[in-house]
Amino acid sequence: MKMKLLGTAILSSAMAFGAAGMAQADDFPTKPVTMVIGWGAGGSTDIQGRVLADILSEELGQPVNVVNQPGAGGGVALARLANSRDEGYTFVFGTSMTITFGPLSSETTYELDDFRYVAGVTLGQSAIVTGEDRPFGDSWEELVEYARENPGMSYATQTALDRMIIEYIAQQEGLELRIVPTSGGAGMAPLILSGDVDFAYSGGTHSGYAETGEMPVLLSLAEDRLVAFPDAPTLPEAGYDINAAEIRVAMVPKNTPDAHVERLAEALEAATQDPRFIEITEERILMPVTYIAEDEVTQTLRDQVEGYQALIEELGGLPGEE
Amino acid sequence: MIGFDAILSSFAAALHYESIAIILGGVLLGYIVGVIPGLNRAVAIAIAIPLTFYMSAYAAIAFLIGLSKGTAAGSAVSAILLNAPGEPSSAATCLDGFPMARAGKPRKALKVGLLASVVGDLLATLLLIAVAIPFASVALKFGPYELAAILIFALVFIAGMAGGSFLKGLAAGGMGVILGTVGLDPETGAARLTFGYAELMEGVPILPLVIGTLALAEMFVQLDEYRRNKGASVIKLSHDKADDLSFKEFKATLPTVFKSTGIGAFVGALPGLGPSVGAFMAYGLAKRSAKDPDSFGKGNPNGIAAAEAADNAVIPASYIPLFGLGIPGSVSAALLVGAFMIHGIQVGPLMLRDHPEMLFTLFSGMIVASLLMLAVGWYGLRIFAKVTSVPPHIVIPVVIFLCLAGIQVQGYGTFGLVTVFAFAIFGYFLKKFDYSFVTFLVAFIVTPMLEMNLRQAVILSGGDIAILLNRPIALAFVVFTALMALHLGWSGYRQWRQKRLKASGN
Repeated sequence: MKMKLLGTAILSSAMAFGAAGMAQADDFPTKPVTMVIGWGAGGSTDIQGRVLADILSEELGQPVNVVNQPGAGGGVALARLANSRDEGYTFVFGTSMTITFGPLSSETTYELDDFRYVAGVTLGQSAIVTGEDRPFGDSWEELVEYARENPGMSYATQTALDRMIIEYIAQQEGLELRIVPTSGGAGMAPLILSGDVDFAYSGGTHSGYAETGEMPVLLSLAEDRLVAFPDAPTLPEAGYDINAAEIRVAMVPKNTPDAHVERLAEALEAATQDPRFIEITEERILMPVTYIAEDEVTQTLRDQVEGYQALIEELGGLPGEE
Repeated sequence: MIGFDAILSSFAAALHYESIAIILGGVLLGYIVGVIPGLNRAVAIAIAIPLTFYMSAYAAIAFLIGLSKGTAAGSAVSAILLNAPGEPSSAATCLDGFPMARAGKPRKALKVGLLASVVGDLLATLLLIAVAIPFASVALKFGPYELAAILIFALVFIAGMAGGSFLKGLAAGGMGVILGTVGLDPETGAARLTFGYAELMEGVPILPLVIGTLALAEMFVQLDEYRRNKGASVIKLSHDKADDLSFKEFKATLPTVFKSTGIGAFVGALPGLGPSVGAFMAYGLAKRSAKDPDSFGKGNPNGIAAAEAADNAVIPASYIPLFGLGIPGSVSAALLVGAFMIHGIQVGPLMLRDHPEMLFTLFSGMIVASLLMLAVGWYGLRIFAKVTSVPPHIVIPVVIFLCLAGIQVQGYGTFGLVTVFAFAIFGYFLKKFDYSFVTFLVAFIVTPMLEMNLRQAVILSGGDIAILLNRPIALAFVVFTALMALHLGWSGYRQWRQKRLKASGN
């Protein structure tokens, strides 16, 4: 009985002490953290995010629970995050296209300035690809030449962004293309492999064909040349002033206290050096791991939005809008 | 193509103890679901999909296939002991199973049913393996033209074959098509029928739709029936030696089993017909070709064998169009497409190319599931006989809880709950007014594929329909579709006219 009382006393004083400590120094996080993923379970963001969450919970000393909020290409999760008053206890792990191009291509209840971008942790590897043994080979220059002489070449698009980029390129080069929609790498791959379509956008599927050479890359849509296809030029190298680089980034609402953002950023930086995170990212989903700090990633995203706005203006509106 | 060593290693993967444990779990759960009259295969798969989120893609699919196979075998138990089929498709098993059990031979009846189930399932699985791969390698060469034509043909065929009136079939399919077009237009990005909900931009989420229309609605129907008829007597199993199945008796049913397996596999491979049709067709044929047709319906073991072999053969055979072409021909196949999608794999001929090891491991997993089915059914006979008496007032609330929990797991929040209830009400009326469920679900699943391929075909051809002349396969299917629609429309009109003549004649 006495022991029990003593135990209770120690426990309650410890709790009181803990509470006081929180009020003064703010040892974020003092309770479980939620990582929201804007895609369904089983997708590449989800696979990567779950490993990241495990590592973050070790770094932060609190459980990091993963919640999927799929819909609108990650947009549903961001719309909810924009209204969150959770001071960093809830953050979204997602792709930059949702926040850069999303608000431009569709009506959204959020925009770039509603969030802070804690850090970027992975670079996308999207590209414009083609198939084997095409009459124009596997170089972008030859394709453009061939397309000028043969109007009606076909291109398979997956996102509003790559569609806008290809229409801009077509305008610049004076090409007449047939642009067919398709969904995801699983929809694009058979079109390219069977030869029904001449060239296509690919988010990352081509990385899986790097060894067999069945899906050569014509253009890298990342900031640098692709790791697995170093011969393909980037957009600026090919003469187009566009930065469409995809970054996987952790986002919190604008009003999150600096101390919380810093603590999350530290944990994310540590995660980018963790072999488990590197393995799942570089070997399973085939994207390079990099740590990009808040200032830099925010500036990149802002530049991208301005670039896209200029592009839309030059095209006289979004493609598909009559 | 894949080499022999790869096939062997995929078999090894399926025989790994973890994989066996997962398949066993699926078969066991399926068996229980099959035994309980109120629960059917579609309900079980719909609520099991969320359970598989944290499994690997292979484990998830193997689990679900084990589950659907288990239900087909388990449903014989309640058909025989309760005279209430655990699955609608076991209705034919009741015809001879229940009289035989009432005559004091319940154990014999159960064992005949089990062995016929296992043989039918195993043979049809082997057929699937033999046929799906050559099928898929041909289908790999199909482009948007062929796929669009085949998908349209499959839809019309299912609407016509799924039973009931062709018009109701078309209506059910139409509803599926409309729901399938919700979301962003694949070409222009315009939002269609989303009513401002961002959640609908990528289409109606499949899980709330499936759980609502299949599982939750079924529970409403069950509640409805439970109010009306309570209590049915269960036949108890004896320890009598005379009530055991001898090898000689089993051998006597084998010819029926083989014939019925053939019928079941044929019916299964055609999209839309389903296991009930297969079971009744096989039963009818067994009766007609028997020396003593009068003994059928009074406890002839051949009647049980025919119904069960065909019922179980339909399931693996219905995966032939699924793995070969990516077209789901049955409700459970349509649900598997959803499960594959959730795990990021597009089912169809491309699997053979991109994930051959996965395909072979699945096939070997299916064989393992057949054998486990035998073991589970044989040794669990007495336990499952007891499960038949689990009362609906326990089953129904548990299933409703699992439905709602499944939606929450996927993270749809309040939106998911509202959607699931809306679809439950929709599904309830679909069932009450006898609209074809397969047609609705398959149309919903297939529409985005169809739309995409059709649009690709139109854009690639530059809108020139003459391109079909260079695409003989696509052309053939367009012609088949037209003939099929004409035939179904004409026979529907004749039936309607006969009915009217009769009505005015009286």
